[in-house]
Amino acid sequence: MALELNKLTGQVQAMGQALAQREGETRDRIARARETLARRPEVTSELQAKIRRAREIDQWRRGALPLGTSLNDRRQAGVATPPFILIAADGSQIYPDRHGIATYYLLNTGTIVLRAGSGQAPMVSSAPEIFFSDDDLYNADGQLHLPEYINAQRARRELAALADLAEAERDALGGDLSVPIVCLVDGPLLPWQGGDADSDEAISEEIDFFARQMRRLHAARAIPLGYIDRPNSAYVLRILELVDQPVEKITRETLRRGRFLLLADRLLFDDLQPNERSALFSPNSEANDHYEEASGGDRVIFAYANLARQDCPQSSAIARIEVPKWVADDVTLFDTAQAAIYANCEPVSYPYVLARAHELAVVGQAERADLEAMLFQSMLRNNLMPEVSLKAANKLLTGGGHRK
Amino acid sequence: MGESAIVGRVLRASTTGFSIGCRQLISEQGQRIPEFGALVRAEREDGNRIFGLIYNVTVEDDAFVRQLVAAGVESAEIIEDQRQKRQVPIIVDALVVGSGRGTEVSYRLPAQPPATLDQIYVCNGAEIRRFTERNDWLRTVLSAAGTPTDHLVVAALRAGASVRASADEKEAYLITAGRELAKLLALDLTRLDGVLRQLREV
Repeated sequence: MALELNKLTGQVQAMGQALAQREGETRDRIARARETLARRPEVTSELQAKIRRAREIDQWRRGALPLGTSLNDRRQAGVATPPFILIAADGSQIYPDRHGIATYYLLNTGTIVLRAGSGQAPMVSSAPEIFFSDDDLYNADGQLHLPEYINAQRARRELAALADLAEAERDALGGDLSVPIVCLVDGPLLPWQGGDADSDEAISEEIDFFARQMRRLHAARAIPLGYIDRPNSAYVLRILELVDQPVEKITRETLRRGRFLLLADRLLFDDLQPNERSALFSPNSEANDHYEEASGGDRVIFAYANLARQDCPQSSAIARIEVPKWVADDVTLFDTAQAAIYANCEPVSYPYVLARAHELAVVGQAERADLEAMLFQSMLRNNLMPEVSLKAANKLLTGGGHRK
Repeated sequence: MGESAIVGRVLRASTTGFSIGCRQLISEQGQRIPEFGALVRAEREDGNRIFGLIYNVTVEDDAFVRQLVAAGVESAEIIEDQRQKRQVPIIVDALVVGSGRGTEVSYRLPAQPPATLDQIYVCNGAEIRRFTERNDWLRTVLSAAGTPTDHLVVAALRAGASVRASADEKEAYLITAGRELAKLLALDLTRLDGVLRQLREV
């Protein structure tokens, strides 16, 4: 064994004690944040001015703009009535490995179309693609593309697949708009990672692509929804830090020493009732501003929602759900989307369609080994002798975990 | 005597038995496939056929299915998805009982097993009738280890009787088979009695 667990005994004990202490502190601080939320929920012009000021001072600070009149609004979505259609897409990838037998990357996009109320098995598919040409692998500077670029390619395929399927489903319904179509992606709706160097050009290319797919979904009256499970975001806590802060005392230093740092909004909202969502907010980010520009006025809007069945904070399942503004502006439409997801979360408090899309997309170690074995054979047939790097070869010898 | 329905494809095989992976318990045509005791055949690329009797059908599970069962899933679409679309195959085990080519049937074991991913078909009425014209396969089944042989013999004989048109034909077939069983199990009368009792059950 390379990891000598006996040498960690003391550290692990200290870690357990520290976690318990942190848990107690977190509870106290969240209680203070809740008290602030209950005491000063109003979205006043003064608060909006403070939010604007905070962003001007510190771009780094990821805040959000409240859309309603109260930060503490709550709304029950109601019960979904079939028929409705849920579509989900998820992607996975194998990144290029310069120590491997060849340089390539792979994307696999899994999709599912579940027609609720039909009683039929959903339609599922996965679309693997392998990229190996120089144009695919290297950027204009001759550098191997970074993982961010490959992630962006994966996100593009997920969105395009959702738009394709939504259009096909709406066509299959003969254009009937009475059947809601909800399209889910796992994670934020808006891609915030650009290409290789996060250059302005790469970011704006991604956002333009995103805006085009959103337009297609809007035209098909399909509701796009980003589902972020166990979110770590603290948009609302960042707002609450400003509530009691006089505007003249908002400085870079006070912002970076906020009262609720290292907490997450999901803790603040774990008292949401099952199938209830919070007030609506719009991320105050450059990417969202870019999207607003590219789309001609649309923005990404989010709320926190509790997708659990049981009514107690210990078993709450708080997710951040993101939709375009045209959905958020229509409260009935947002209710429809949330209710459809809530119904689909029935077995395990997580959207079944997302779990299946992930399962269809994921490339496990065994599948990767099978693919590389196929590639190995293909190279041999073409008179190439595949070789891994010396480092990879030695890792194979030493990384098996059999040494006692 | 309709078209032969497909059970699935070979997962692993030997000259004495093979395992088939199939996707569901009901075929596209609504037939109950695979069934315990059914006679199936593999078609090898060289034209040879291998006959087997299904002696075990296993519905595999995984962590996802266990989670859904524990959570008490009710949605019809989710249940159908798990049954029809997940990559968790139903495993069907078959005991090799003969081989052949075209319409010829031999009760010897094949020279080679079916290959990986060979398609396996359920034998139609004509094929079952042809295979059960003689009862030489009974010895192979009764001597097989690790299979529920007595139950398998009964299920296969019932299937053989079911493809005979008249009641007289069915009776004659079962009487002949019963005599063969009496010879093969002459030294184990308790077992013979058990098999014959099961055969008589309606």
